[in-house]
Order: sequence, then structure tokens, then C-alpha cells
Amino acid sequence: METGWQAAGDLETTMIPSLAEATIRSFLDGAIGNAGWASLLAAVVHVALVAGFFGVPAGIFIWAERKISARIQDRLGPTRVGGRFGWLQAPADGLKLLQKEDLAPKAADQILFPMAPYIVVVSSLAAFMFLPFSDGWIAVSLDIGLYLMLAVMSLEVIGVILAGYSSGSKWALFGAMREAAQMVSYEIPMAICVVIPVVAAGSLNLNEIGALQGGWLGNWLIFHDPFTFATFFVYFVCATASCKRAPFDLAEAESELVAGFLTEYSGFRWSFFFLAEYASMFAVCGIATLLFLGGWHTGIPGLDESVQGLRGSSASWPLSWLANVLGFGVFFVKSSLLVCVQIWVRWTLPRLRIDQVMMTCLKYLVPISCTLFLGAVIWPLVLSATTGKTTLLGEPLGERAAPALEIQADTTMTGREGDLP
Amino acid sequence: MIDFLNHFLLFTLAGIGMLLVPLAIGRLVRPRLPSPEKDAIYECGEPTIGSSYVQFDLRFYVVALLFIIFDVEVAFFFPWAMVYGNAMQLADGNLGDEARRTLTNRLLTAPGEVGQEITADAAHWLGVTGLIDILVFFGVLLVGFAYVWKRGDLDWVRAVANAPTSADRS
Repeated sequence: METGWQAAGDLETTMIPSLAEATIRSFLDGAIGNAGWASLLAAVVHVALVAGFFGVPAGIFIWAERKISARIQDRLGPTRVGGRFGWLQAPADGLKLLQKEDLAPKAADQILFPMAPYIVVVSSLAAFMFLPFSDGWIAVSLDIGLYLMLAVMSLEVIGVILAGYSSGSKWALFGAMREAAQMVSYEIPMAICVVIPVVAAGSLNLNEIGALQGGWLGNWLIFHDPFTFATFFVYFVCATASCKRAPFDLAEAESELVAGFLTEYSGFRWSFFFLAEYASMFAVCGIATLLFLGGWHTGIPGLDESVQGLRGSSASWPLSWLANVLGFGVFFVKSSLLVCVQIWVRWTLPRLRIDQVMMTCLKYLVPISCTLFLGAVIWPLVLSATTGKTTLLGEPLGERAAPALEIQADTTMTGREGDLP
Repeated sequence: MIDFLNHFLLFTLAGIGMLLVPLAIGRLVRPRLPSPEKDAIYECGEPTIGSSYVQFDLRFYVVALLFIIFDVEVAFFFPWAMVYGNAMQLADGNLGDEARRTLTNRLLTAPGEVGQEITADAAHWLGVTGLIDILVFFGVLLVGFAYVWKRGDLDWVRAVANAPTSADRS
């Protein structure tokens, strides 16, 4: 980890301490004097921050879902808790659920049944480890971050199968098997859709992919070529399905399976399945924002430059911090809008049948995503053979990718020694 | 790597704690009044018949097999996509010298001498080679996919459609 180039060669050491971590670590290095403890403490700070990002948006989206669904159905939704708009509804529900009896049927497996929600919550929380909330605001910046994030998120299905299997109930077992079949099937087109922006960006580092989409709106990867544009929508459908959201919520199909794998769960354990679901929604929408919609960039260069200007060359902390907060605001707004679209879809479309769900995936989404993949691969090659350029409009993508890469290399080289100003 | 393991361990612990702590607090306030009715599994009010560990349809096995083959394949796409994306960025003739140097260094693990950057032409041919590679690699999978499709293994209701009906038997 001495120089950037050695680091670039070795996957194991391509840990890039982010700006946030570097500042926390250098601060702690001075206070404690032991790099190992400082790194551990920095990790503790990250966990606290990310757990906040995990819980708070999930709470907001639960409230938003209730309000939006109510408005769509011509109701008012929560109105009383916490004064106007019922904005304290989610914490109030949490308090109520805390007092509910923690039931487990006699027929259930007494070890696996209580364990299942832990697996779901851990996998969905750990996915946030790799998500950059703003330029450099990322707990673990890895050169294989995107890949690891998808891998960790897909562990959730194990918790779902475990929940259904250990419940000792037929409804739960059927729900879990459907859910597993659905989640693993939709992971195929989703992974192919994720590869397509990677083909354009040439990087799996989420921070780098976000950073190279600065400048005008046209620089966002969704507008990179016609195939990435179509891919965004395919990705969004797959992401909705992999979060087991309606119209793909077969596992919880009340009309046929009672509550699917959740049938036997009650009280707080049950609520954490839902918290994890809403957090996963935010995570997949965050990936969509970073891969396609410019991450923390507004799409207006003047605005972005003035925000980045706050950062300055000396990286004095209150200003660079403010720049990151503004970047986080942009990222959060974009991701939240996508989550709201998922909510909107849930309350608009009827649920599909299980054979329709599987057919949509295997016979439509997989071939479509394979075609888009091949198209997105051949597109720059054809352009380069005919016009000598690889992007249709604007400057070469490499002009933006290289500075994004250099920022990463700089933090790699200086952050580790803790010699930030 | 230590950093990553630190984080992963702490995130796991935090995830466990997020559930364990409220449950432990809840133990103080929540009732615990078990009864035979509550301990029974829920089957819409009917008494349950038999164990719930029943055999389920073989169709799920086909889905799982498809998933494994496709997912292993896609896992190999990721490193390829990185190299290919890099090559395509370098294949742009209008790329500046400095950016070209940086991207060359990302593509090659060791930094090249100044003036030894990968030219647009070389990157283009690297891209063509990469395309042929992936076409062969992906083509094998797609032929298999087409075969499975043709055989009708992707039809969810195949078992029902092909089963002899009472009309056939009579």
C-alpha cells in the first residue's frame, strides 16, 4: 500500500481509504497514537453513521409508503402521530411492536426460526458498507465494491429461505420457495444490467463510477448510449423484483399464501424483515443512481463546480464537509425519487401470478438484457471503427475517467500515512 | 484488507445488535402467555394435517440450476467488462495525452514508460479481441439457454399442460 501503482496491481491491497475515513483516522491517529486502534475506531464511527443511513431512510420510506398509498386510494393515511402529517408513525409502530408477544410456533425450528431475521438484517446492512453517499463518503472503498455489494445483498435470500423453512408451516414453506425462485431468477438480468454501465465506465469502484459522471446532464451514464438508456429501465424492473416489491411480491401474496414466509413471525422480529426490505429498496435505488443517474452530481456543471469549489485545494474540514453534505442531498433526492416510483408502482399495478413472474424474467428480461449487453459492447467498437471516437457526443469518456481515477490514487497514497493537512 | 475485515465484522455485529438490543429491551415489557392455540401453526383456523416438511415441485430445481450457470457466467463478465471498458476509453482518438497515460496505467498493472501509452489503434484491436472472446464465452451459454427454452423447461406450467387430462384418457 506504499504507492498507488502497487495497490492497483493487487486486489487485496486496493483498499482506498475514503476522504471521510482518512480524516477520521488521522484525527484518531493523533489522539491515540496507534494506527490499528485508530482504524478500528474509524470503522466504529462508520458503522454508527451507516446504521443511521440504514434506519432513518427506511423509517421515512415506511411513512412515505403509507402516505402515498393512502393518497392513491383516496384516503388520508396517518395524520395524528407527531402532529401534522403523522410523520412519527414509523417510530410509533416500532414502539408498539416492541410490546408485542414474541411468538414462535411449537412446530418451528427453535434455532433457525429466531436466526432468520438476523441474516436478513445483516446482509442488507452490510450492503451499505460499499455504497458511496457522496464523493468519498463511503465506509469501504474497494476496487470491486459494486461486485461485493451485489454479492452481499443477494445473501438476503438465505434468510428468507431459512425463515420459511424453519417456520414449520406450509404457507411459509411455499412462500419461501417462491421467493427464492424469484430472487435468484431476477438476479441474472439484474447482474447483466449492472455489467453494462461497467463496460462504459471501465471500473467496479462505485466512487469512481459516480465521480466520472460530472458535468452536463449528458455525461450521466444513462445517456452514454442508447443501450444504457434502455438498461436503466430493465435494471429498475429487476431491482423492484429482487426487493420482492409489488407487482412481484409473490412471497407475501396475502390472497393465496396468507403472508408467505412471514406467516409465523410476529412483533419485532417481523418488523425487521420489513425494515430490511425498505433498506434494500434504498440500496438498489442507490446503485441505480450511481450507475446511471450521475450519483451526487446535479447535471449542471456550474452548480457542481461551485459545490466542489467549497472543497478547495486544502480540504479544510468544514467546507469539504459541507460539499459532501450537499452531494449527499443530491444523491438522497435522486434515490428517494426512485424509491417513490417503486411505491407508486406497488399501489398501481395488480400482483402477477407466479408463472407470469417467472416467465417475465426468463423469457423476457433475460433475453432483453443479453441483447442490451451485446449491443452496449459492440456500440463503442463500431463507433471507434467508423468515427475514431467511442462516444457519440461530447468529450471522450476517458477524459472524465482519468481524473476520477487520480482522485482515488491520491487518497490511496496520502490517506494511509495520515498526513492530510 | 484488515480494514475491510474490521468493517465487515463490525457491520455484522451492528446488524445483530440492531435486532438483539430491542428484543432484549422488549423482553422487559412484552407479555409471555403461551397457549396451545398460540403455539400451533397458522393454517387459516383449520387444524393442520401432517408435517409441513413436504416435498415441493421439481420446477424450483430447474430454476436453481439455471441461476447457478448464469450467475457463474456473469461473475466472469465483471473483470472482462473492466478491461474492455478501459480499452474502449483508450480507443478514443481524441483522448488527451495525460488521460491516456493514466488509463494506460490502470489497464497495465505496472506503470509504462512515458511515451509508451497504449495507442487508440492498439486499444481498438484489444477491444476486438475482447469482443471475440466474450462472444465465444457468452455464445456457449446462449446456445444452452436456447436449448432449454426449446425443450420447454422454462415453461412454469409445463407439468400441467403435458399431463394427461381426463379427456385424453377416455
